[in-house]
Amino acid sequence: MTPPNPTAVEEAPAGTPPPRRRPSLRLPRDRHALVDNFFRFQSLFGLVAVFLIAIAVSPVRNGENIFLSSGNLANIVRAVSEIGIIAVGMTFVILIGGIDLSVGAVLGLAAVGSATLMVDSGMGILPTVLIVLLIGTAFGATQGAIVARIGIQSFIVTLAGLQAARGIARMWSGGLGVPIAYGDGPKEAPEAFSLLSGSINGVLPVPAVLFIAIGIGALLVLRSTAFARHVYAIGGNEKAARLSGVPVRRVRITVFAISGLLAALAGIIHAGQLNQGSPNDGSGYELDAIAAVVIGGTSLAGGSGSMGGTIAGALLLGILNNILALNNIDANVQLVVKGLVIVAAAALQKLRPRIS
Amino acid sequence: MTERPLVRMTGIGKRFGGVQACRDIDLTIAAGEVHALLGENGAGKSTLINILSGVITDYDGTIEVDGRPVSFGGPVDAQRAGIATIHQELDLVAGLSIAENMFLGREPRTRLGGVDIRRMRRQAAEHLRTLGADLDPRRLVGSLRVGEQQLVEIGRALSLDARVLIMDEPTAALADAEVERLFETIKELRRAGVGIVYISHRMAELEVIADRATVLRNGGLAGTVDPRTASRDEIIQLMVGRSVDALFGEGRNEPGKVLLDVRNLAVTPRRPTPGRTEPAGVDLTVRTGEIVGLAGLMGAGRTELLETLFGAGGSGRRSGQMTIDGRPYGPHGPRAALARGVAFVPEDRRGAGLMLEHSVAENVVLSALATLTTLGVVRRQAVRRTVAEQLTALAVKAASPAVAAATLSGGNQQKVVFAKQLLTQPRLLLLDEPTRGVDIGAKAEIYRLLHRLADAGMAILLASSELPELLSLCDRVVVLHRGRTVATLPRASATQQAILAAANGDDAKETR
Repeated sequence: MTPPNPTAVEEAPAGTPPPRRRPSLRLPRDRHALVDNFFRFQSLFGLVAVFLIAIAVSPVRNGENIFLSSGNLANIVRAVSEIGIIAVGMTFVILIGGIDLSVGAVLGLAAVGSATLMVDSGMGILPTVLIVLLIGTAFGATQGAIVARIGIQSFIVTLAGLQAARGIARMWSGGLGVPIAYGDGPKEAPEAFSLLSGSINGVLPVPAVLFIAIGIGALLVLRSTAFARHVYAIGGNEKAARLSGVPVRRVRITVFAISGLLAALAGIIHAGQLNQGSPNDGSGYELDAIAAVVIGGTSLAGGSGSMGGTIAGALLLGILNNILALNNIDANVQLVVKGLVIVAAAALQKLRPRIS
Repeated sequence: MTERPLVRMTGIGKRFGGVQACRDIDLTIAAGEVHALLGENGAGKSTLINILSGVITDYDGTIEVDGRPVSFGGPVDAQRAGIATIHQELDLVAGLSIAENMFLGREPRTRLGGVDIRRMRRQAAEHLRTLGADLDPRRLVGSLRVGEQQLVEIGRALSLDARVLIMDEPTAALADAEVERLFETIKELRRAGVGIVYISHRMAELEVIADRATVLRNGGLAGTVDPRTASRDEIIQLMVGRSVDALFGEGRNEPGKVLLDVRNLAVTPRRPTPGRTEPAGVDLTVRTGEIVGLAGLMGAGRTELLETLFGAGGSGRRSGQMTIDGRPYGPHGPRAALARGVAFVPEDRRGAGLMLEHSVAENVVLSALATLTTLGVVRRQAVRRTVAEQLTALAVKAASPAVAAATLSGGNQQKVVFAKQLLTQPRLLLLDEPTRGVDIGAKAEIYRLLHRLADAGMAILLASSELPELLSLCDRVVVLHRGRTVATLPRASATQQAILAAANGDDAKETR
């Protein structure tokens, strides 16, 4: 089976088995296949193109290309890691033809939860992380259950979820940000939590590593599990999937639970990076995550798309923001450029030759 | 055909990539004739029709309308030239009223520029009256039955002053009574001088309605016949290029023990859905190795019964007894049904059977993924082998298992749905109109497949609107009327008349 997983081959890490080259289930290698592959790998081409442009227009200081400096590259991945992790969960949701607008608010709730549990309740890191992840997962699963059982559109359910999560976060924190101070005393969080804002060997930012690891994990899940086939099937034709014995409700709930889980994880990272948890954290993140998924070539109608595309889409957005900032271009211009890129990516998908 | 034809197509050819869809086809349509267009799926009918209706604008050959060469830039041009098309999938907006649909895009205006709703309704009502349709133009199209929706489409064509009307399988979704009404309408249009291009897979209809039949094969012209005099075998031979003997195959061996037993099955829906007839007193048995037919008019509840048996019906309270192998059976969902060895091939293969944009391979294995995974990870090698086996076993014609299901012809799509369901190794196979929209060659293959499955001991329950199909395939025919079993006819006593009499209800007051 060949799920539309364009970038999988390119991004598979060294430790994974090499992709099979058996062509029998792949498209015939003719001109149509070339065209088709271009569109399937669209976001990857886009990523490479934006990367090259960024090198070209980057300011140079003392003969060093600032964009290409390892510090800058690491920063890009760090900057997109939260959006990227959320986008990974969002990809599952969009693949079944749904949408999850609550992820930004769940991130805020998780950030508040992390700070409050450690600082106010004096909990250790592990119980804190587990509880927060559990809250995110349960929140997502509840939304999924409402979508699957009652049959309300996910747009509406998660719009309501967004409001609810923000409200809970504000009630929990008293409406204010909860600063995280580190130390062993009361009202202080364990020192180890600050690792989230650090780097491995001073090079690889921890959030970036988490993002890449989760991205690759999700990519493998989507490539080769029966669960993923069920996700694609529901997005492709829910009725046919149900009549074929796909446990539609269970898959739906699981997908929203994954999205909630990853949003909560992003919230923990957020708290670790900013040393505080504020109930307003992550507002608007859901839209950036959706943008990354769309740029990655996943159809909002569900049923087709890939995790590799989403990862490439998130990185592309990060590079774009970075290079515009390096060139001192106004942040408002950045927003406009982001809008143009989203439209361009969607337009490219429209050009993709349809099956006759 | 002495007068000048309305439309003359000469030397029409069209190539899609490496496929020659049409090659040097001549076709004329005269005023007041019903011209049938025959051919297996993939013979080039749709391409030819799409060229004539302006959907395909780039082709070889010439089209003349009223003797003047034309070149359509799009469907609107064709409509202006008086050529209207009624597609198999009707182009209606469910959420709009009949009148709004008829005048969609060219609504009559008031002096202030608003829509002149009253005039629109009045004109729509006139067209409906011409068609003998007793429908309120204010009704939403979504609330109409398929046959009624078709009348709305024809009404729209009339409002366009169409002189050529192309009908693509207009009876595919109609019950017998509705077919008769459609034929009356067609005769009416013929008298009014409209030239009709009529595409259908049903031979019996052509004998009744068509004046001329042009047969296409592999994109070329295979011949023109008079369907009223030509024998069916002759026409079939033209279509497939060889003679088809024993389309339905032989009678078969003795059925075994009772597999499915249904006693007084009824479903009380939680919320009644208009247009659905839930089971209201169904008795039937299906034995192993037996093919049981399910007959009934449209709205008799055949589909609803099959869905209920598969656990896929509407929500509601179920009463009566169902057993499989003597053990109680009451599936709460398709998964539970599949687990008990019951599989279902739905009527609407595009809407409910297939993921059209996904590959053939992905479609085939969807039901059986559980058997092809280790710890949740799909075994690609096993999938590849299984798919190859299934495609070979059912003789599915596909460029490769990786092509999208949508690219296959109707018959091959249906075979993919069969392959998917058969992979679950069912003991009871529920089929809803398995040969609808399937060409005659694929039909014969499906019949042979059903015989083979029954011979291997599978129990088959088959709902069909085509009486000849039921009569020749089935060991017994169960007739439904308003959700009730009204007759069970063994093969020996099942005749068209007997089935129709039962299907129309014993009590005259009950007929609609």
